Amino acid sequence: MATTVKIPIKDQNLVSSLQDFFKTMLRDGDITGLMVAQHLPMKSSVMPTLVTDPDKLDAVDPLAPVFPMNAAKVVSKLTRKPLGGKVAVVLRPCEIRAFIELVKLKQGRVDDVVLIGIDCLGAYSNVHYPAFVGEDGMEATARFYRNIQEGKGTACDGFDLSPACKACEYPIAENADVLIGVVGMDIKDHLLAKANTSRGEDLLDNLGLSSTGEPEQRKKEIEKLVAERIAYRDQMFAETSEATADLEKLVNYLSNCVNCYNCRVACPVCYCRECVFLTDVFDHEPSQYLRWAKRKGILKMPTDTVFFHLTRMAHMSTACIGCGQCSNACPNNIPVMEIFRTVAHQTQKAFDYEAGRSLDDEPPLSIFREDEFQEVVAKMH
Amino acid sequence: MRKKIGSALVVGAGISGIRSALDLAELGYQVKLIDRAPNLGGTLAQLDYQFPTDHCGMCKMLPLVERDSASQFCLRKGLFHENIDIMLNTELVQMEGEPGKFEVTLRQRPAVVDPELCIGCGECSRVCPVEVADEFNAGLAKRKAVYLPVPHNIPNNYVVDLDSCTLCGECEKICPTGAIDFRWEARRQFRILVVDDELIVRDSLKDWLIEEGFDVETAESGPDALDKIAKQAYHLMLLDIKMPEMDGVEVLKRSKDMRPDLPVVMMTAYATVETAVEAMKIGALDYLMKPFDPDTLVPLVIKLYENLERAGEFTMEVGAVILAAGFDSFDPAGKGSNTYGYGEIPNVVTSIEFERIVSGTGPYHGKLVRPSDGKEIRKVAWLQCVGSRDMHADADYCSSVCCMFSVKEALLAKERSNGQVEATIFYMDMRTFGKDFQRYRDKAEKEYGVSFQRGRVHSVELKQLGGDPTIVYMDIDGTAHEEVFDLVVLAAGQRPPAGSDLLAEMTGVDLNQWGFCQLQPFSLSCTSRDGVYAAGSFSGLRDISESVIQASSASLQASRLIHSKGGGLAEASESEVAFRDVSREPPQVMVALCTCGDSLAQAAHLDEVEAFVSDLDYVSQVHRFESICTQEGWSQLEEAMEENGANRLLIGACMPYVYTRKLRDLGAKIGLNPALMEVVDIRTSVFPGNNFSQEQASREIRLALAMGVGKLKGMDPSLSAATPIVQKALVVGGGIAGMTSALGIAEHGFEVFLVEKAEELGGNLRRLYRTLEGNPPQELLEQTISKIQKHPKIHLYTNAKVLHSHGRVGCFITTIEKEDGSGETLEHGVTILATGGKEATTESYGYGQSESIVTQHQLEEQLHSGQINPAELGAVVMIQCVDSREEPRNYCSRICCSSALKNSLYLKEQNPEMNVYILYRDIMAYGFMETYYTQARQAGVIFIQYDVDKKPKVTVENGGVSTVVTDPILGREVMLEPDLLVLSTGVAADGQGQLAEIFGVETNQDGFFQEAEYKWRPVDFLQEGIFTCGMCHSPRNITESIAMAEATAQRALRILATMRVTAGSIVAEVRHVLCSLCEKCIEACPYGARWRDDDEGKIMVDELSCQGCGSCAAVCPNSASVLRGYRDQQIFSVIEGALEEIF
Repeated sequence: MATTVKIPIKDQNLVSSLQDFFKTMLRDGDITGLMVAQHLPMKSSVMPTLVTDPDKLDAVDPLAPVFPMNAAKVVSKLTRKPLGGKVAVVLRPCEIRAFIELVKLKQGRVDDVVLIGIDCLGAYSNVHYPAFVGEDGMEATARFYRNIQEGKGTACDGFDLSPACKACEYPIAENADVLIGVVGMDIKDHLLAKANTSRGEDLLDNLGLSSTGEPEQRKKEIEKLVAERIAYRDQMFAETSEATADLEKLVNYLSNCVNCYNCRVACPVCYCRECVFLTDVFDHEPSQYLRWAKRKGILKMPTDTVFFHLTRMAHMSTACIGCGQCSNACPNNIPVMEIFRTVAHQTQKAFDYEAGRSLDDEPPLSIFREDEFQEVVAKMH
Repeated sequence: MRKKIGSALVVGAGISGIRSALDLAELGYQVKLIDRAPNLGGTLAQLDYQFPTDHCGMCKMLPLVERDSASQFCLRKGLFHENIDIMLNTELVQMEGEPGKFEVTLRQRPAVVDPELCIGCGECSRVCPVEVADEFNAGLAKRKAVYLPVPHNIPNNYVVDLDSCTLCGECEKICPTGAIDFRWEARRQFRILVVDDELIVRDSLKDWLIEEGFDVETAESGPDALDKIAKQAYHLMLLDIKMPEMDGVEVLKRSKDMRPDLPVVMMTAYATVETAVEAMKIGALDYLMKPFDPDTLVPLVIKLYENLERAGEFTMEVGAVILAAGFDSFDPAGKGSNTYGYGEIPNVVTSIEFERIVSGTGPYHGKLVRPSDGKEIRKVAWLQCVGSRDMHADADYCSSVCCMFSVKEALLAKERSNGQVEATIFYMDMRTFGKDFQRYRDKAEKEYGVSFQRGRVHSVELKQLGGDPTIVYMDIDGTAHEEVFDLVVLAAGQRPPAGSDLLAEMTGVDLNQWGFCQLQPFSLSCTSRDGVYAAGSFSGLRDISESVIQASSASLQASRLIHSKGGGLAEASESEVAFRDVSREPPQVMVALCTCGDSLAQAAHLDEVEAFVSDLDYVSQVHRFESICTQEGWSQLEEAMEENGANRLLIGACMPYVYTRKLRDLGAKIGLNPALMEVVDIRTSVFPGNNFSQEQASREIRLALAMGVGKLKGMDPSLSAATPIVQKALVVGGGIAGMTSALGIAEHGFEVFLVEKAEELGGNLRRLYRTLEGNPPQELLEQTISKIQKHPKIHLYTNAKVLHSHGRVGCFITTIEKEDGSGETLEHGVTILATGGKEATTESYGYGQSESIVTQHQLEEQLHSGQINPAELGAVVMIQCVDSREEPRNYCSRICCSSALKNSLYLKEQNPEMNVYILYRDIMAYGFMETYYTQARQAGVIFIQYDVDKKPKVTVENGGVSTVVTDPILGREVMLEPDLLVLSTGVAADGQGQLAEIFGVETNQDGFFQEAEYKWRPVDFLQEGIFTCGMCHSPRNITESIAMAEATAQRALRILATMRVTAGSIVAEVRHVLCSLCEKCIEACPYGARWRDDDEGKIMVDELSCQGCGSCAAVCPNSASVLRGYRDQQIFSVIEGALEEIF
């Protein structure tokens, strides 16, 4: 039976109560450091911080409805080789799922980290959040949750969640070592902390928190939330499929691409040290451009834009966890997340694979199943 | 490529012949590989599917190191190797000399179609009016008289079957390259003398033959004929036997005195056939039967003419001869009663015919339909042991492969029909004695629902005309049944190949009583004649895996002999070719277009093509040659290449594959790496049959050339380096397998470290005192140990164990702990694991509860020591398959049935009064062992069959043992109270797991070593340079272990034989600066050629193990892993070339 404990909410202050929880964890838990998102001075956002001093947790706010980057990449940097101490990392579900993919790709290790996942009600885009947040980041977070508690949903002050979050059917990080439950809880009273693994239990056991159970209400609300998200997602799939139904439409869909590769940089699972699009492979000879132009009399520049996205889909769609950072990073508002998720959904389904679910699932291209895709490789007769 | 002194002849180019030839060629010997068929591959050419994978894997036999010396494409299509000269349509006709120095004469049947000129366009076949049964499809389809023997060969030349050809000459007229030549002109020079006393015969023969273009004279009597012979020379005499004045035989004798070289063919009526046969003994070439009619006689004479004038006889010297002559299938309609109605009842076919029915290249394109009426097949019966295990058919032997063959076919039928086909196999014993066979059979039964019905089918009948065949059979309990099927498949057994008696006589090898090659005791390849070795089914039918092992055993013996006669493994003097370094030059491609006479100019706009190609990037010049395939054309090309200094060459011609050797020679001559030369096919697409317009044809040619240029211009010009080899071997395990392997290597002059954990050598062999065949194992043991101890190249470590090993092929470093506890580090290029297995222990059937319950091994030992006295035993019960052939040990241990037969025959011989009962599931008396099964039954041993779900029950009370078993024939339980109960517990793995970890190799679920590929690489591990033999791989008997050990020695020598080994030119590389170390490529590599070096933080590639398949490059997202010769840029260029005309 998994350990489940209460995180008490003092003075109805969600943010500061969580801060207290993390301070206790860093002080009393068997960890050397804690990686968690904090508001930084002078910046109207949150960023992952690696903290070893419990006194430096005053601006912690993992519930802030924003994640300017997918922190899986940072955790990967921390864990590629032995870290020299144990660190608890507080992540959104999509960040954990991205990290799991990276571990499978040997870009990180789980040995030195305890994964703490917080229920995610979604985030605003990097463009919207600064406008939403105002002067006080922690107050803004409280505002966001108050809005939800009052039944007004996740749209607040005229801002709404990014499409990736609206379409995300994984708001709960069930694969974390420790899961912090918000959905379906009375956030004026207490949150949940649940250990899913022995590693998580080791961490929670020392914090002196009283145990509790998981309320029925929580399960119901999660179901409802997931259902809404899936409905949105499927609608998105349908629209995107239609918008990219043939090559011409696809070219139009991606026509604003300027090869800035921001989407690739922002993508947590795009792990190559150097993207193939930056190597000599695409060093076309100058005369080649002219030859291409001659064929039809006109050549759109830059070339290789559609090809770039297709290649990224071919390489990474089996690992896409749908965090939407690609769209977040696009300077030209191309709906990159929408097409990536639509394709990834198909490829992952084809391989009966769910990116980021578990370390035990082998990435599709690393295993050979003799009898798969009979419709493609059917016997010659 | 390595070249060694010494050569060998391999007779038969089926699987075994190819394996032997490749083995010897890889060592560097020159090999002549001949086959009387017009195609390579033997029986396998007709088989598309092989269990257990149900795929083909023949290409896995191709060289894994020095890959560039051989073709690298589907081996079913063809084979090229620098050191192998293949002659098809060729037979061995004479062999003289002594081991190490044989003089062999080969005769090649005339080729009407010149293979050098034939481009395989098929025009000839299209116009040929003759249709006969197609052998390739087992007679299920038709072919023309000029035809492709195998539809997918490379290069695929047409051949004329003179037996069915009517000599109409249509094909000769239409052939676009003049490859077909019936040599009508030459016939006028061919003078025939017809000798007959009857005018009508003389005149009609003369008329017919003159019409065919021959020069004919006649003589009316013997003296007249002799007179004419004296005056002038003839090329052929047709001589009547029965003539008044002087009979034909007398004329023959006298003519031989005058003109001994004159070929004489006797003409005879039915009454004098015997005389004609006699005449052949005194020098007549052949005889013709009267009465004559022109349709049969003329082709016969023409065939004689072709044979006489065109059959090339060819004599060469070889050090050793390997006979891989294969087998013939039993003809169920032949001699005997044909109770299964083969050839009479429609829809009764043989296994091979069924194989063609399911084949995608077969007459029905893989559709499951009946040959007789095209009806969909829904219910099939397989009848086992047709012409095998049948005294009436003079076949007291098992054909060994038919059980698995039928299981495979049944499974295929199930798969093909999505389980719709009802498949039943009627059998006596299911002989699943090989590694993994039992699980395969179980899969067929349990997962696919193939039904197994024990009992011999009495007959196949046709109850009504046009109906389906009905099977009449009896259950094991004697109940008679009848059942109707859509198709009945006869698992026809083996017979010796036609002409094997002649071959045996010529080569001086003994045949066994059934006409198969007789092998020497404890050998699967030595015949009664030194220097002549047998491979494959010529000495009894074998499956692919066993054939491959045996073929390698034969090649090791051949190599050992050649080596001992001084034709050794020393490098023949061949100066290293130095290619010029063109890596700093911009690509300059010379394009050579073969215009194929003027036919390409007719088919396409060549000027336009030339202009287009000249305009492509990096093309420095374009030349046209009339026919590059001729010597003259090739010389012109060489000249052009030498003069202009181009550093890439693209040839546009037909049949790219045949240029491999030519390009290598050209490379050596002009100092340019052949990897920078490419041949593209610009001919096939414009064959007349395709009906292309000149525009379309021109476009096809332009595309092919543009793609070729695209690939060539980006070709990496750097040269591949050679890997140094530590020319020493490590053999782990000093049983008979390990010792044999060590000797095989040491006798070729290389050092061997032999590590044995026990105090003494010998392993399991120390406990064997007799074999079923009556050969003495202890003598073998003593002799082998003595050879090991005396051999100066073998370093023996007893009481020693392996602690640690690392490294790659060519250089392994292994630490062992010696007897005195000290360590020693050994450096070696290859590793052989031969650590044996052990007799399994059991807790079943009361074992351990009574002294009267022993294992087979214990019985043998106690009989030897005298602890058991047969005279004192009244009854002995043996139980087979104890804890075997069911999970978790679901495999047959292969040796227990023969042990039981051996021990029971011995007991019966010592005490004929004794009752011996063998309780068995299936008696695995495969091959010629069957005859001992027969002997045992004749000696009165009682065999009672039991099912795995109805096992015998054993009770031990007061030291007495009783057994209860259900006798299926009586249908009731029988109680036996033996004085001795013998349990066949089988063979279990013995610590392979630990060694597997040390050497980085795999074990299977039963703990035995896992070979790279069961059929095609049976003694290799996936890790190149590590091999396995004997019982640590799978249960097998002494002789089989020895053969396998010889095969490992052979595989090891292929690496050890030179100081440096070169990988192929197409190998994978890692661009480390781009690599993210995700290790996907390591998982993707099917050859275990990649690993992560943690010290360097890099992914490494073992060039020798890499086979250039490109999986790593495909799985790598940013092209950090690349395949030489297939870089992204090249492929982009090729795609560009292909699309240039479309977009």
